[in-house]
Amino acid sequence: MLAYALRRVLSTLPVMAFVALFVFSLLYIAPGDPAVVIAGDQASPADVERIRANLGLDQPFLVQFGSWVWRLLHFDLGTSIFTNLPVASMIAQRLEPTLSLMMVTLLLTIIVAVPLGVIAAWKAGTWIDRIIMAFAVFGFSVPVFVVGYILAYVFALKFDWLPVQGYTPLSQGVWPWLQNLILPAVALGCVYIALIARITRAAMLEVLQQDYIRTARAKGLGQGGILFIHALKNAAVPIVTVVGIGIALLIGGAVVTESVFAIPGLGRLTIDAILRRDYPVIQGIVLLFSFVYVLVNLLIDITYTLVDPRIRY
Amino acid sequence: MDRRTVLKGLAGAGGLALTGFAAPAIAQGAAARTLRFVPQANLANFDPIWGTQYVVRNAAAMVWDTLYGIDDQFVPQRQMVESEEVSSDGLTWTFKLRPGLKFHDGEPVLAKDVVASLTRWSARDPMGLMLKAIQSELVAVDDKTFKWVLKQPYPKMLFALGKGNAPCAFIMPERLAQTDPFKQIAEYVGSGPFKFAKSEWVPGAKAVFEKFTDYVPRQEKPVWLAGGKQVLMDRVEWVIMPDPATAAAALQNGEVDWWENPITDLVPVLKGNKNIGVDIGDPLGNVGSFRMNHLHAPFNNVKARQAILMALSQEDYMRALVGDDNSLWKPLPGFFTPDTPLYTEAGGDILKGKRDFAAAKKLLEEAGYKGEPITCVVAQDQPITKAFGDVTADLLKKLGMNVDFVATDWGTVGARRAQKTPPSQGGWHVFHTWHAGADCINPAAYTALRANGDKAWFGWPTSEPVEKEITNWFAAKSLDEEKAVAARINKAAIDDVVFAPTGFFLGYTAWRKNVAGVTKGPIPLFWGVSKTA
Repeated sequence: MLAYALRRVLSTLPVMAFVALFVFSLLYIAPGDPAVVIAGDQASPADVERIRANLGLDQPFLVQFGSWVWRLLHFDLGTSIFTNLPVASMIAQRLEPTLSLMMVTLLLTIIVAVPLGVIAAWKAGTWIDRIIMAFAVFGFSVPVFVVGYILAYVFALKFDWLPVQGYTPLSQGVWPWLQNLILPAVALGCVYIALIARITRAAMLEVLQQDYIRTARAKGLGQGGILFIHALKNAAVPIVTVVGIGIALLIGGAVVTESVFAIPGLGRLTIDAILRRDYPVIQGIVLLFSFVYVLVNLLIDITYTLVDPRIRY
Repeated sequence: MDRRTVLKGLAGAGGLALTGFAAPAIAQGAAARTLRFVPQANLANFDPIWGTQYVVRNAAAMVWDTLYGIDDQFVPQRQMVESEEVSSDGLTWTFKLRPGLKFHDGEPVLAKDVVASLTRWSARDPMGLMLKAIQSELVAVDDKTFKWVLKQPYPKMLFALGKGNAPCAFIMPERLAQTDPFKQIAEYVGSGPFKFAKSEWVPGAKAVFEKFTDYVPRQEKPVWLAGGKQVLMDRVEWVIMPDPATAAAALQNGEVDWWENPITDLVPVLKGNKNIGVDIGDPLGNVGSFRMNHLHAPFNNVKARQAILMALSQEDYMRALVGDDNSLWKPLPGFFTPDTPLYTEAGGDILKGKRDFAAAKKLLEEAGYKGEPITCVVAQDQPITKAFGDVTADLLKKLGMNVDFVATDWGTVGARRAQKTPPSQGGWHVFHTWHAGADCINPAAYTALRANGDKAWFGWPTSEPVEKEITNWFAAKSLDEEKAVAARINKAAIDDVVFAPTGFFLGYTAWRKNVAGVTKGPIPLFWGVSKTA
């Protein structure tokens, strides 16, 4: 297993290199020029050219790419064109809010979605199943920002229970930290809960029709034991897969959620960087996200072996 | 249902629910000495000479002081300067700094700092470049005195040093001011009333300014950028909020104290909350702009440009922007900011009265337009340009023009508008923007009005009469003379259609009523602002 994990980690290197080249090329050919944004409306073309030269943007593609890769090999993601701050420190600054949001959302999702899916499968065809699935369709259909606004209105504006916006670092206490994350996590989690509840239901329905479940029932095992010990464990592979894939959704959803709740996370940093054409920041974030995807996939594969001993690498 | 509709509806509901429901979330004590402010945009960089965005200028005005500051009559008043003297031939200006000036690192402000700062500024600012072009020398005479010797008189010297248009002539320590003006400074040390807390800066989210306790304000009453800058708060925190609905909710909830520019849709909600004050923020407002490319057909022909002036309805543009709130806009049959000394409507009849589509179509025909595609590049991520772009697409179609509507983002528009190539090869025919009214009070910072061909602003208009009169304005020695020149500029700029003004519009600002001292001004002014718990 260790050898497999190591092989997988090493195999990410060419993937990362390809992503790096792809992203760099894409940004190179994309319209927009940070020097124009920086120079402002008063600047002459000569001023813009001088700024481009200072930023190294006037260099040929291969020179720019080469120098970026060289810096990467030295663990240097470069410096933001706009803020003049190291990209690594900008990402580090934004990592905690995004990770916190994702973690709380993921936790909330698993706690809510898996039991909902199990119950829906158990009560398949009944009004309970229909209500749960209706909720799932709703959660999947309503945009994150709409849910966000509704939550903010009810729980922040009307009842004043939770703040509308912002982020408090965990170092300042668990409750202040959590306070800022509850509403965004619920808003972001709605889609995710809906997705996982549906997948769990489908996987459970398939498992519940298996012979060993019938046997377990015949042996007089309680409903809870059947559902959560026998059936859920065997339905876990597709659920684990969708939880992993869902992390991709979380990253995408975090962009909107962080804007709606003014959370200073990576999502907002990404949008700001794209709108300003802050190339080093965009490249740094994309590399990080790519690495996270690869890592999550690896974790999913490893988790398979834990939930299903038949799977071996 | 779109995002804007949802936020409007919910924020409205929130406003109704909160009427009579004061629930400030901020605790007592330290929070009461901290002002939380939502600025118009993200503070993405902090070198006010290198980057000229309004938001950078606004933040910089807290941290760096200027030698002079304009007041609400647009008159430059002494700020860091104690006295100035100009020789009888108008060529030698000698300035003396006032005592007690200190940088945030504890070092005194010396003449050598001023000389280095003005040298850097004059490499980037249009007025600075004019001064540099006629400069004999700029030197420190002693620690408190510096001298600027010119080859020809420059009557607008004090305005140049005190103007609020970016880049302002901010004074930095010599070691920072020696930075290449095309590279960013790495430290943010000024001598202004606030210190920038760099360690707390999260670009895109938060910027913090602390009271500079060693700052010695002037004794005069504060007016705009002039007078005594008395700081009454310990800290000012800029909280960047990309989402207007969130900003509105945070203001209603007491999580922030002042929102620089609430969007028009949400203003009724804020006005309905008894804990919130709402008023026009910047009385100088903005001038809307429909910019045509003078290099390519059909707009290289003045008749085609005149056809646009003849047909465009400023009311359509303004309604698309501000809705039914008539207090927020004015027709603008000219180029200068309304209610300022140089405002004139000379030559502006073509923008008044009933719109004449028949005559406009005839002019287009005379200009040789035969249905070629008109590339209208519109930044969809800017509500103002988006609204203008939609109206223009409709207008051009009504004129029988073939519109190629390029919907994109501001970053792309910024790069594309600099292209002089034909529209079919990556160039453009039309784009929209707006200019801060503070930049349009006179020709000093009004880059968009210049008509010097290749050197002019995007669209590259050429108009000798406009250029001649702008030169005359810089030489004008009295307000009456300036007014006469401004009338001639206005007429010439309309005759040659340097660009098409789409109207004058204002914006609101909103604050919680426990905040006192919020005043109208061309930038948000934090001195004199206080807050009760």
